[in-house]
Amino acid sequence: MNIWETVTGSDLTRDWKAFEARAQALPPDYQAAWAQIVAHLMPYGGFTGRNLTPIVDAALALLEEASADGQGISEVLGEDIPGFCAALAGGEGARTYRDRWREQLNRNVARKLSRLGD
Amino acid sequence: MEGLTEMLKGTLEGCVLEIIGGEETYGYAITRRLNGLGFTDVVEGTVYTILLRLERNGLVQVAKRASEVGPPRKFYTLNDAGRAELATFWAKWQYVSTRIDSLKEGGR
Repeated sequence: MNIWETVTGSDLTRDWKAFEARAQALPPDYQAAWAQIVAHLMPYGGFTGRNLTPIVDAALALLEEASADGQGISEVLGEDIPGFCAALAGGEGARTYRDRWREQLNRNVARKLSRLGD
Repeated sequence: MEGLTEMLKGTLEGCVLEIIGGEETYGYAITRRLNGLGFTDVVEGTVYTILLRLERNGLVQVAKRASEVGPPRKFYTLNDAGRAELATFWAKWQYVSTRIDSLKEGGR
């Protein structure tokens, strides 16, 4: 990723165009599930959503593999799409801006407290 | 058996490790294996998120292989850390299951 892409987010637009094109190739019921997955993953996105790119890519790959196997979408994801998305986003793969704010807050408080001791 | 999801939560990861430990395999095959054992509630998405976690925690080796239909598949094998984790899982399982069994039999 070069500086131009970082500033403008043009790499993101390109990535998402590619994702949408891949999603278009899926069967209709898969496309509906895909829309739900994207909607449920959004809250895990950071400020730019760049942290979601690898997760979305992985989720699409699963859908592509499963549809090629001829599985129904409910066999693949079951009933719990929000739960699936939470598990996908879990772990260090998806740090959100909230995590960073929390860290910043903790750091600031720690600094203030240590200054009190002076 | 249905409605096992809650009870299986902590153990499914160990089951997946055990299956991968047997031979190199992929997500769909693991799901089928679990379904065949009677865990009919388990769907591929569940197994997939477990595989992601195993990968993140460095317990498995992943290889992408072309398949006859569709995109390439990810195949999984255990590495040394994975085998150690699997041994730990069975030790924990042994601990829990013997105690629950003895509870059921009224032992103390």
